[in-house]
Amino acid sequence: MTARGSQSRFLQSVLRNGVGRYVCQLKRISIIFSKKAQGSLGVREFIEEGVVDYAKKNPSTVVYVSPQTSRIPKIVAEYLNGNVREEIVTNKTSPQILELLTKLTNQSGLEIVRIRKPFHTDSPSIQGQWNPFTNRPPSIGPIRPQKQDSP
Amino acid sequence: MVFLSLSCWIRSRGPDRYWKVQEVLKHARHFRGRKNRCYSLAVRAVRRALVYATKSRKLKKRNMRTLWITRIAAASREHGMKYPTLCLSVQLNRRVICDLAVTEPRSFLSLAKLARARQQEGFRAALGDGKEPSGVLSRVVLLQ
Repeated sequence: MTARGSQSRFLQSVLRNGVGRYVCQLKRISIIFSKKAQGSLGVREFIEEGVVDYAKKNPSTVVYVSPQTSRIPKIVAEYLNGNVREEIVTNKTSPQILELLTKLTNQSGLEIVRIRKPFHTDSPSIQGQWNPFTNRPPSIGPIRPQKQDSP
Repeated sequence: MVFLSLSCWIRSRGPDRYWKVQEVLKHARHFRGRKNRCYSLAVRAVRRALVYATKSRKLKKRNMRTLWITRIAAASREHGMKYPTLCLSVQLNRRVICDLAVTEPRSFLSLAKLARARQQEGFRAALGDGKEPSGVLSRVVLLQ
């Protein structure tokens, strides 16, 4: 809620993803649902129609489908940097679940917290950062080898 | 004799107090003193903290702008001019000019020279004859 009380991070990309090849950051998707409950109706429809197409479209993501009785329907997404995101999908329709899955696929695994600055540079200063001596004329002249009077 | 109604007199006053208290205390964990441990003190402190957070969203914008203006004024005084002169000539926002002054001192020097030239032009236009300076030709003067 407060800036100091909640986490924040700087804008970053995962290992410069996209500069060369783009690697999908989603490692694993586990769809937990129940075979008989009402809230899992949308999930069951999605598993009948859309899950195979989704898995074929994203060959780098492993899709696990686990029916477990008396559990709230959930989608657990694990990313390459180790973060785990759980989304509860009770009473969602099949297209809504597909939308959610595309959103999770396009995310990188970085946490969703306040980003301190909307920009990031590795080289912020090209002409040299200002220091108190930047605009001062030098106090001693150029350094030359000492003049020796004796030949 | 069996006491059957004794168990009916025991009532649960509400089983969730612990979690309701923790919801408030979790926002107070980084505070100083007893405010981070004791609920009654923490409630007041958390409310003040959230109020300050809402109010300071506007204040942050104001403070950042004054910081930029201070830095631009200091940088322009290093080059022998003042903040209003620079700001009137350069059509960039203060944040960008401040970043240039910090990270690109030579670009800022050229901006300062540009502003100085504009200032001199303005003085000549205001105090001078109304003629073009020598060596400068412009259509306006020719058409008249």
